[in-house]
Amino acid sequence: MADDGENSLDSRPNDDSKPEKMFTLKKWNAVAMWSWDVECDICAICRVQVMDSCLRCQAENKRDVLGRQDCVVVWGECNHSFHHCCMSLWVKQNNRCPLCQQEWSIQRMGK
Amino acid sequence: MLRAIGKRDRDIFDEVWPEKRKIVLKLLRQETVSQREWQDLFFGVHFVCLWDEKGAAKIYDGLQQDIVEFIVQAQSKVQAQRGEQALLATYIVEWRKFFTQSNYLPLPFRQLEQSPQVKPPSGSGSASGSGSSTSAASTSNAAAAAGGSSSSNQAASSSSSSTKASTSAAAAAATSSSGGASSTTSAASNSASAASSSKKGITEDSPVRKLMLDSWNKHIFHDIKDRLQESAMKIVHAERNGDAYDAQLVVGVRESYVNLSSNAEDKLEIYREHFEKAYLKATADFYRLKSTEQQQENGVLAYMKYADAKLREEEVRAKRYLEPSSFNILTCRLVKVLIVDHLNSIIAECPALIRDYETDRLNLMFRLMDRVLDGEGVEAMMGDLQRHIKSAGLADMQSASEIITQDSEKYVERLLELFNKFSDLVRNAFNDDPRFLTARDIAFKMVVNDTSVFKMELPTSIANRGVKYTAPESKCPELLANYCDMLLRRTPLSKRLTSEQIDARLRDVLLVLKYVNNKDVFMRYHKVHLTRRLILGTSADSEKEEDIVEWLREVGMPADYVNRLARMFQDIKVSEDLNTQFRNSISRHDAINIKILNAGAWARCSERVSVSLPIELEDYIPDVEEFYKKKHSGRKLQWYHHMSNGTITFVNNFGRYDLDVTTFQMAVLFAWNQRQHDKISYENLRLATELPDPELRRTLWSLVAFPKIKKQILLMEPTAIGSPKDFAENTMFYINQEFAIVKNGKSQRRGKLNLIGRLQLSTERSQQEDNQSIVQLRILRTQEAIIKIMKVRKRMNNAALQAELIDILKNMFLPSKKMIKEQLEWLIEHKYMRRDDDDINMFIYVA
Repeated sequence: MADDGENSLDSRPNDDSKPEKMFTLKKWNAVAMWSWDVECDICAICRVQVMDSCLRCQAENKRDVLGRQDCVVVWGECNHSFHHCCMSLWVKQNNRCPLCQQEWSIQRMGK
Repeated sequence: MLRAIGKRDRDIFDEVWPEKRKIVLKLLRQETVSQREWQDLFFGVHFVCLWDEKGAAKIYDGLQQDIVEFIVQAQSKVQAQRGEQALLATYIVEWRKFFTQSNYLPLPFRQLEQSPQVKPPSGSGSASGSGSSTSAASTSNAAAAAGGSSSSNQAASSSSSSTKASTSAAAAAATSSSGGASSTTSAASNSASAASSSKKGITEDSPVRKLMLDSWNKHIFHDIKDRLQESAMKIVHAERNGDAYDAQLVVGVRESYVNLSSNAEDKLEIYREHFEKAYLKATADFYRLKSTEQQQENGVLAYMKYADAKLREEEVRAKRYLEPSSFNILTCRLVKVLIVDHLNSIIAECPALIRDYETDRLNLMFRLMDRVLDGEGVEAMMGDLQRHIKSAGLADMQSASEIITQDSEKYVERLLELFNKFSDLVRNAFNDDPRFLTARDIAFKMVVNDTSVFKMELPTSIANRGVKYTAPESKCPELLANYCDMLLRRTPLSKRLTSEQIDARLRDVLLVLKYVNNKDVFMRYHKVHLTRRLILGTSADSEKEEDIVEWLREVGMPADYVNRLARMFQDIKVSEDLNTQFRNSISRHDAINIKILNAGAWARCSERVSVSLPIELEDYIPDVEEFYKKKHSGRKLQWYHHMSNGTITFVNNFGRYDLDVTTFQMAVLFAWNQRQHDKISYENLRLATELPDPELRRTLWSLVAFPKIKKQILLMEPTAIGSPKDFAENTMFYINQEFAIVKNGKSQRRGKLNLIGRLQLSTERSQQEDNQSIVQLRILRTQEAIIKIMKVRKRMNNAALQAELIDILKNMFLPSKKMIKEQLEWLIEHKYMRRDDDDINMFIYVA
């Protein structure tokens, strides 16, 4: 943020065209939050919020503070969503959605 | 000699003994005995015992007569003395002589030990078996008794060294008084030393020795022990009064008491029952009088010095006059007379001394009280200290309450100053004794958690669980968090301090935090401040930010909380990368920075506020969303405009200014872009910005009455409005065309101004909810902890459960009894656990 006195040269084009605007935007720091686009925000397998990493990853996180972000969410064709980590363990035993018992197939994966 | 074989028994004794008896008498009198005579005596005894059936008994009887006779002579010598000193001196000389001989005389009569006719000494502990077996046990005693020549055993070194010194001194005294006899003494001891060193153990238990000592005891000692004792005590008394004295006399008396005992199991019996008892009584009597006198004459403070000095003096004296076994008993007795009996009057001085910070005297008092066994005095002092810290601390806080409730820096610094002062007191006066440290900590806790200076009210009820809960709590954690923020943010304070100073202060904050009960409040505020710093980018030093997170972990803050903070740092870095990518992707967006954050790490309860953005801002939104959708899938974005902020350029009649503003302020101000000179009503502003009423009021207030600036951006009509609540629908607002930044009394045409102040992260409503959510979280934590405990224990009674619960939760907050009870009921109701049918205080975990 340089001093405005010198800056006036740069912003001249703006001033020339519409000289009488009282307030002009110089900088905007916009803040947004992202969250998984899910219907239920708790993973039915590990009972942890899907926004947090799953139980397993949390336990491992204690050793390694950095390097989360891998614990993404996965949606099935049935539109139910779980931690990907949890679901990939689940399907090894039972290839059905734990909530609706439909055959599990991945519709999309969080990124 | 062979001739004797034929003779009758009685004759053998009669024939041999008279000769030998002369040698015995010589020995008793410490006259010179030639080596030949000495050996003759051995032989004679042996001979009689061998050939005369009753020889042993006869010798024993004869010996007894001689010894008694000798003793009676000595007695008359002693009794003839009138003066106390003379009596003692004579007694000691006689005793020393006799005692020396009691080590040698028995040697020739060892034969008697084997004889059944001579009564073995008092049943047990007899030396009748093999002589060598007892030697190990008795050498140490013997070494002490025989003193002088022998190489003393290690175990007995302390006792023997003192005896040793005194024996040699006594020997010197003996030579001077008994004149001519001196040479005989040394001759005898020389000739016997070889024998005694090897056979000491045997001499100790010999019946002859016992005979000698018992006779002495019966004939002299018994008659004059009271006089002896009395005289000795008089000498001690004189010494205590500072008069001239002869310490050797007392030492000599004590030695005779110790050595007289023929009881093998308890050598000190006679000493203890007579000498020690008398000494203790004399000492106690002496100081009972003196202490009262001293205290009355010189006052309690001087008396403490007196008592301390006398205790030490008596310890030194005891080393001279008493056996080591008596030291503790004597000290106990002295402590009783000198301290315990005056406990109340001494303790009564304590509060004043603490108040006046008299560390030396307190230290003295502490040392005195620390001698009292049951710790009553120390406890009383601890109580005084605790009360003083608490009341002084609170008084200090209250007297400064006007400043410190407003200014977290002053508050924390004042608090630390107080802490350091009292920590110094504990160090200097009480040597950092753990008991006083604990008292200090308890008092600190009370000061820190006190609610009389300022408090925050936690909500009275939480609707959805039907829990009623009200408790004012100290605002301290909030102020600590504020202070942390001032140190970590770019502020005048943090600029003034060096990095080391900031570190030291942050450590201080953690120190105070240790005493705070409601740490969860600190965590909450700390997180809010951190959020603000990260979003506005106002951290003074990002390394320190991460340091303190680790420190919080070290002091035992709950891991999930600390991890969440760490996650925020990470997330902000991820977001920075994203922002770079975004700005590279579309060249025209150089006026916008985006922070897209993980809602799980940041959002907590703060709800979003809808606002109608100025068109300049609104235009950016689709671009950002499109960009984000390309990068990620399965995510939804929510704009947190109450967190966003920016810089705008403001041009008016007077000059041109850069203003740092919140997005809400921007939304309000941009309403005038179309109609620069209009007055706009509150109602119309609400329509234009679509801000909720409380937010709009707050935002407007920040523009008409921003603190510490001379000229405000917005003006209003009517002007006499005192608070945001007083805005009416028709209150009119208009831009101050004469606005200028005033520096040093001069209006500037150019300049930069930050109108953000403290970025409002929470809305008006959520601020109320904040406290509620603290309580809510506590309830959940309590339930969680109860279940955690019960899962392990299965069965547990109420008291134990509460104790463990408090232990688990103490790093976050102190659960109230009431809340614990309510949560237990809730858990029982919901079948997580049940009460035992027989014992209402016993809980059972239900899986």
